[in-house]
Amino acid sequence: MNEQQPEVQGLSYQDVYTGMKERNVKGSTAKLASAHVTIAGAGGLGSNIAIALTRIGVGHLILIDFDTVELSNSNRQQFKLSQLDVPKVVALKQNLQEFNPFIEIKTIQEKVTHDNVKAFFAQADIICEAFDNPAAKAMLLDAATEFYPNKPLVMGTGMAGIHSSNTITTKHPRPNLYLTGDGTSKGVEGLMAPRVMICAGHEANMITRLILGKTTV
Amino acid sequence: MVTVNGHETTGVVGQSITEFLTKRDAPLANIVVERNGEIVHRADFDHTLVEKNDKLELISFVGGG
Repeated sequence: MNEQQPEVQGLSYQDVYTGMKERNVKGSTAKLASAHVTIAGAGGLGSNIAIALTRIGVGHLILIDFDTVELSNSNRQQFKLSQLDVPKVVALKQNLQEFNPFIEIKTIQEKVTHDNVKAFFAQADIICEAFDNPAAKAMLLDAATEFYPNKPLVMGTGMAGIHSSNTITTKHPRPNLYLTGDGTSKGVEGLMAPRVMICAGHEANMITRLILGKTTV
Repeated sequence: MVTVNGHETTGVVGQSITEFLTKRDAPLANIVVERNGEIVHRADFDHTLVEKNDKLELISFVGGG
């Protein structure tokens, strides 16, 4: 916890958390504040998931993404035009700190590969997959199962196009694996904020449930 | 009988996971294979053979995020 941090924009830790506790589910805030979530990918899924988790006070985030902000991201990813060409993890951290300056945010500007999964996800209580590339998604499931079989892994697959919102679900097909999305729509159909945010919401809510001890979907 | 995603499938016993996926035209890189409840790691795809009564679940990922 970061109660001793100096004030930011005239607001203390206590100010911000008192406000947050008024609307967070009763009894949840302390558990959320002590949770460590590592988010792999800071694009359409990752930026929206990170904002949701920051707003409810998840206390320790690690953001991983090798890429920089470009104009084609702006229809769905939570960056500003002023952040063009900035590394996504740097830009996202800046934005998150405006929502809650009192959480711990670490950034890693690298590509996730099988060889660095063990190091990058060591601190995570929960692993969040938020990649764009399907092979990267498969790689992370493979490697996370190898190195961290006991850590919950929350993933997204299928949030493209303008299909019904109601085809996006959260499934729990094997222990510690949570799969969100419609499972079929591909990025080439186009990816737009509304539907990507639904999937990001599924991931963020499952992560929230897991932090608060709920393991069912 | 081998089941694949719940469907009984014939003619696959003895194939490696790589062969099995390739013959189904499955996008190899985007798939994670669960065999009898355990994930078959990618490094083991070539030398893991499908056996009689195996239950295979193919977890396929699509792009977008």
